[in-house]
Amino acid sequence: MKERHWIVCVKAVVLDAAAGPARRTAANSILNPFDAPALALAFDLRRILGGTVTTVSMGPPAAGPVLRETLALGADRAVLLCDPAMAGADTVATAAVLAAAVGQLSPVDLILFGTRSADSDTGQVGAQTATALRLPLVADVQTLVWHDGRCRVTRDCDGFLETYDLDFPAALTVRPEAAATGDLALGRLEAAFAGQGPHVWDLNRLGLSPGAAGQAGSPTVVRQLTPVGQRKTCRFIEGDDAAKADELVRRLVDGGLIG
Amino acid sequence: MKIELTDKHIVLRRTVRSFADREIRPIAAAIDQEARFPWEVVEKMARLGYFGIQTPRELDGAGMDSLSYALIVEELSRASAGIGLCIAVHNSVALYPLLTFGSEAQKRRWVPPLARGERIGAFCLTEPNAGSDAAGIEATAVADGDGYRVNANKVFVTNGAVADVCLLFVRTGTTGGKEDISVVVAERETPGFAVGDLEDLCGMRANPVSSIRLCDCRVPAFNLLGRPGMGLQIGLAALDTGRVGIAAQALGIAQAALDESLRYARQRRQFGQPLARHQAIQMMIADMATRVDAARLMVYRAAALKDDGRPFGTQAAMAKLFASETATAVTDLAVQIHGGYGYSKAYPVERYYRDARVTRIYEGTSEVHRMVIARGVLG
Repeated sequence: MKERHWIVCVKAVVLDAAAGPARRTAANSILNPFDAPALALAFDLRRILGGTVTTVSMGPPAAGPVLRETLALGADRAVLLCDPAMAGADTVATAAVLAAAVGQLSPVDLILFGTRSADSDTGQVGAQTATALRLPLVADVQTLVWHDGRCRVTRDCDGFLETYDLDFPAALTVRPEAAATGDLALGRLEAAFAGQGPHVWDLNRLGLSPGAAGQAGSPTVVRQLTPVGQRKTCRFIEGDDAAKADELVRRLVDGGLIG
Repeated sequence: MKIELTDKHIVLRRTVRSFADREIRPIAAAIDQEARFPWEVVEKMARLGYFGIQTPRELDGAGMDSLSYALIVEELSRASAGIGLCIAVHNSVALYPLLTFGSEAQKRRWVPPLARGERIGAFCLTEPNAGSDAAGIEATAVADGDGYRVNANKVFVTNGAVADVCLLFVRTGTTGGKEDISVVVAERETPGFAVGDLEDLCGMRANPVSSIRLCDCRVPAFNLLGRPGMGLQIGLAALDTGRVGIAAQALGIAQAALDESLRYARQRRQFGQPLARHQAIQMMIADMATRVDAARLMVYRAAALKDDGRPFGTQAAMAKLFASETATAVTDLAVQIHGGYGYSKAYPVERYYRDARVTRIYEGTSEVHRMVIARGVLG
């Protein structure tokens, strides 16, 4: 039986909101917190079914430490997709580059993504990459079990729990509750930074033309980012504790903040 | 020289800060008030390698450098100085002498369980009549068959109530001079080893600082560290390393006090505007930030020198002196900025104020450090 291969696409996200297009550095970039559960789920799959975990990220050299962090957390291999011509990519161009990388890393059983990134927050890249690879995708996966030789996943959709059985290869976007993330051990962090870092692949290595990537390959362009101020107001709720709680819940429901 | 954090150090700092914010900060006030050693967090830290930061990987440590050690102690102390102290002392003055002066057999026996955090280490030098005057210790280890019979009364032992492996400074000779002083390793299970009451301290209350007494305690000759009479040499080498840790701890406390002061000064309004808009407060904030920044540069420089294999003793003493005096000055200003609330347990700055004070006393007082620095400068 061939060895399983789990690929996790991750992003180095900026910690603070930028006034314009974000410039990532090692100091201001972290592993997208929404990708950590996808990575943890890949480790769970490796523990149950064996195989190797590869992490892939498109980004500038400053994304390298984040990929080393994935190695410290337990990834077997990391690949940084890095080329000046990849800069300014929208989600379509990002998916094109990730799909090209997955093609080169194949065979693969499952490609895992977080549900969205903490900085640009589109939630599109997982679906677009699966589409580019013509692979089935289940989005917002909450649980995954191995059942009768197939992968069974569930997702909550509008109050219904959907259950899917999947054949590999396939792609998933993973919700935070799908897998428990672990703390980084100091020895593993040291080893990850002392050992071989991520492989670095440019467009040439991926077999892509500059027109397919970065700003040139992006149908959309971010023209401007403008902070939107939030006006805070304070309303007092009167009554005894039970009445105050009921009124608070009613206002939150009426405001569409809880369902 | 370049004092710059590498990518590894940046990721490490973020990793430790995130752990400390999630696991330690929420309980920091409670463990201080209850004077409780939080085993539930300590056990997690043990699994993650915090008890073997600079211990080589082949002895089950993380194999990190001194700058990493300083960053870890700084970040832990920013959340709880008592926890930072536990890690600083265990890794420096307890483990470092074993790694540096221990035989291969001694290292194999004691280091891996300490590095895995399965056992906790302590450094037992201070006695009721010997503190800064380390050569004045009265504890004895008298040759007895194939070992020593040890009698000692050690006080203010950091990690004392939970320590399993203690580096004990004793007299093995009878000349009365400093050449009599040696280090023996005493283990908690040894008959005659007793932990005294917890010291009821002003600060660092999450650390179980206690006295330790050994009464006719039989210790095998194997447990002698280095050669007889090497005690002060071992102690001074350990304290050189330990100073970086205590300096980093003081830095962490000072940074925490600055963080809280910035938050409070932006939020608290007096005379119709936030405190941060009042020039008197701005002067205090500027002084605090400047001192913290300078302390950080000195601490990182001392650690970087050690990592480069260059002499670092004087710079470590300077860093410890400056960072500890910074911590007491900055926490004092933090209380002042908070006003009456700063003197209350409702805000953490009163804890920082209490915790900071001892950094000018332990592992060498400020006055002893000035002597060390003067010796280094005057030659």
